[in-house]
Amino acid sequence: MTRPLAFAAFRYIVILLATAITLIPILWMASMAFKPIPEWQATGANLTWFPRNPTLDNFRFIFGTSTSDLIVALDRTALKPILSSLLSASVGTLIAMVAGTSAAYGLSRFGSGANLPLALIQLRLFPPMAVMIPVMMMWAFLNFMDTWWGLALIYGIVTLPFAFWLMKTFFDDMPREIEEAALVEGCSRARVFWRITLPMMRAPLASAALFVFILNWSDYLIALLLTTRDWVTIPVYMASLSSSMTGQLYGAKAALGLIAAVPPVVLGVLIQRHLVRGLTFGALKQ
Amino acid sequence: MSAIRLENLVKRFGAFTALKTMDLAVDDGEFMALLGPSGCGKSTTMNMIAGMERPSEGRILFGDRDMAGVAMGQRGVGFVFQNYAIFTHMSVRQNLSYGLRMGGRPKAEVAQRTGAIADLLQLGDLLDRPAAGLSVNILQRVAIGRSAVMEPAIFLLDEPLSNVDAAFRAVMRTELKQLQRQFRQTMVYVTHDQLEAMTMADRIAVMDHGVLQQVGRPLEIYNDPANLFVARFIGSPGMNLLAGLPLETAAGPVVDLGAIGHSPVLAPAQAAAARRARGAVVYGFRPEQVATVPPGHGMAMPVSFVERIGARTILHLGHGAQGAKAVFENDVGLSPGSMAHLAPIPAAIRLFDAETGVALRGT
Amino acid sequence: MSPAAKPGPDESARLGLRLTLPAQVLVLFISVFPLLMQLYISLTDWSPLSGLAWPRAWEMWNTFANYTDLLSDNRLWSALGRTLLVMAICVPVEFLLGLGLAILFADNFPGKRLLYSILIMPMMVVPAVAGYMFYMLFQSGGPVNDLLSAISGMPVTVAWLSDPTLALAAVMVADIWQWTPLMFLILLAGLVGVPQDQVKAATLLGANAWQRFVTIVLPRMRAIIIIALAIRVIECFKIFDTLFIMTGGGPGVATETISVYIYKITTQDLIWGYVAAIALAILIVLSVACVWAMKRMAK
Repeated sequence: MTRPLAFAAFRYIVILLATAITLIPILWMASMAFKPIPEWQATGANLTWFPRNPTLDNFRFIFGTSTSDLIVALDRTALKPILSSLLSASVGTLIAMVAGTSAAYGLSRFGSGANLPLALIQLRLFPPMAVMIPVMMMWAFLNFMDTWWGLALIYGIVTLPFAFWLMKTFFDDMPREIEEAALVEGCSRARVFWRITLPMMRAPLASAALFVFILNWSDYLIALLLTTRDWVTIPVYMASLSSSMTGQLYGAKAALGLIAAVPPVVLGVLIQRHLVRGLTFGALKQ
Repeated sequence: MSAIRLENLVKRFGAFTALKTMDLAVDDGEFMALLGPSGCGKSTTMNMIAGMERPSEGRILFGDRDMAGVAMGQRGVGFVFQNYAIFTHMSVRQNLSYGLRMGGRPKAEVAQRTGAIADLLQLGDLLDRPAAGLSVNILQRVAIGRSAVMEPAIFLLDEPLSNVDAAFRAVMRTELKQLQRQFRQTMVYVTHDQLEAMTMADRIAVMDHGVLQQVGRPLEIYNDPANLFVARFIGSPGMNLLAGLPLETAAGPVVDLGAIGHSPVLAPAQAAAARRARGAVVYGFRPEQVATVPPGHGMAMPVSFVERIGARTILHLGHGAQGAKAVFENDVGLSPGSMAHLAPIPAAIRLFDAETGVALRGT
Repeated sequence: MSPAAKPGPDESARLGLRLTLPAQVLVLFISVFPLLMQLYISLTDWSPLSGLAWPRAWEMWNTFANYTDLLSDNRLWSALGRTLLVMAICVPVEFLLGLGLAILFADNFPGKRLLYSILIMPMMVVPAVAGYMFYMLFQSGGPVNDLLSAISGMPVTVAWLSDPTLALAAVMVADIWQWTPLMFLILLAGLVGVPQDQVKAATLLGANAWQRFVTIVLPRMRAIIIIALAIRVIECFKIFDTLFIMTGGGPGVATETISVYIYKITTQDLIWGYVAAIALAILIVLSVACVWAMKRMAK
């Protein structure tokens, strides 16, 4: 249906306004990340929207290679937090995907684990804070505190519901004829799963894995509680960066924030087709 | 006021031309069928009449009023979709009364008119049932009633009976026809089923690949197809079409049908048509309009298959381009492999130009 | 390999069991022990500061004192109220804005794909980083005030994050910025699923755009709207990351939501017995609400 010109103009104006509002916070942080010290300290009338003298100093600072005259010794550079985020998010994703995909297949094809859908939704229902004390104590008992593998395990558990629901809807959507044909040929069901189903599911698996990875990478609270020094993740490290001499180190934090935020945004745009499915636990497909 | 005129109508979708220059006039109160195979442009035409699509070129007029710029909600046409588009989240009553309610009609009037149309379509008992889950037959009635209650001067139906089961189809055909007569609406009816068109329509517009092939009364189209397409499309089975050359023989003008032999001598009207041919012709006759003749007379064709449907016998003769069918109302003592000697009724012969496909007329 | 008969039901059941085992183990791991442990220490005064290992918490037994205490804990109830206030404002605003955007995106227009990709970005920004973004934006010498000064012509130096009411407003702005795209995403998917034939039929019957929206589009989106609202309500109740980085729950307790409150008494006051009681109370209330909601949905 064709619409009048006035509506089209109105639409563009509103959408462009929304786009501007969307981008301003992100662009501001990006801008701060590239500003030298006097610029990111500026307030009020001295404020500039774009860096006048863009510099990589903030990035150098957080990686400990700064040549500026900032007399602050960092306890640790950003390298380990980045490593920690990467390891815990990746391995956590692996755990969630392995457990979730297997269980999803089991439920979809054999009807096993009928209690899982409800149990896993309930897992997401309660505020994490409400269950963290026992987790902290279990982790302390297992010597998992302040380790990236301890984080990976809890991440795997906490994002298991998403992996499960996503893969279950994907399996449900997949026609069974090919599997049936292989079964008639004499393949065992396990072989069918490994050799036939999974290879066909490469794209959905990738999308689900990326979705889960984004969730794990974005965690703050759990890392805050379960790590203290050695294996803090990027968000925790970022929050802790401060200096008694130069206040809040906006520039460095902005640089770190940029590093933390870019991967999920890029990945998210890549898998945007499946976002609705993942976020609504498969209730809706795009 | 409710006559429809389509002038030079063209519709393009990007590089594809769905409708090529169509001119059609539908009289006030007439039942006009748009008949043709899938993709012929009949639904596109109807969508443009309703206002759902805009013509690329040409005009659409209701009476004397040009419909360009009139939005689809303002044209006062009733429309029945192929899949009914019933509001499944509402009850039958809410569906029927929808147009009246959206138009702000007073409650008493809405109730009265809804009740009347429900009675007419035998939906009275189902008024308060949710529309979802009802059978296709009922949904079809609701779809018709929903538009009919608005008392539109023009009623457009897009293959409304294609989802209905066969037994019910005959009933619905009669009901629709009666409805149209009663309300004296101009009805445009899209279908690919030529039997439907033949039994219901006052006139039929036959279309193929976006081009109007012929417009006329059902019997006209049946007896005097304008070209090979219409000849083949109308009738079940379609007209027999055999390639041949006009020939003057000692017995009189005939058509040389090659291996089959010579046709029977042409009657004067057909002979006149044959003389206007510029080359090869197509010799056409309806399968029902043949008679068996003694050997040596008429055309000889081998019987390839005998189809018996109840009392009717359909003989499949010859094969491929030189194939034909003959339909008899009772059993014919012929079996596959034997030779059939047939002569079509002379007055029923129709000749077509082999190159253009257009029918040849005596005058 | 010669064709054999299809695997029997036993083999399927055994494989199914093995496939679901890892997930079942993990779920059990995270639900059974925590639940029992919380139940146990919620009936005590135990704290890690007590010097006792937690299995000996029974030495500080106080029966249901924690539970009665939480009923009269003003700080808890204001945190809860604050959380509900944030939910009551943010979720409807996000819904309406998301719906508006979805309607604008229903047709095709040039640049749609690019603009769509941009508009969904906020929800993929790490929430903690988003908190920091808005922390910077709302500084009294920062861009928000700069913008407001430019628009109003007067210098604006509001101290957003130091004022109790304004801090809460700032937090809500951050939440709306981050999660409106989620509503937009889900509602657009729902909008596109409305059968176009019915919309056309309604138009032909004379319904105008508003009537079509109310009588056809919205009713057919009912299920999706409920899902979107449910998801957002649940997540908003848990709000922590963004808020905590922006204000730390302050100034004072002005932006202290339930998660922040629990975090503080867990890590600062370390009264873990009490925290366990709160956790279980929340668990019970939410479970009851869940069951009630499911019963209503089943009807």
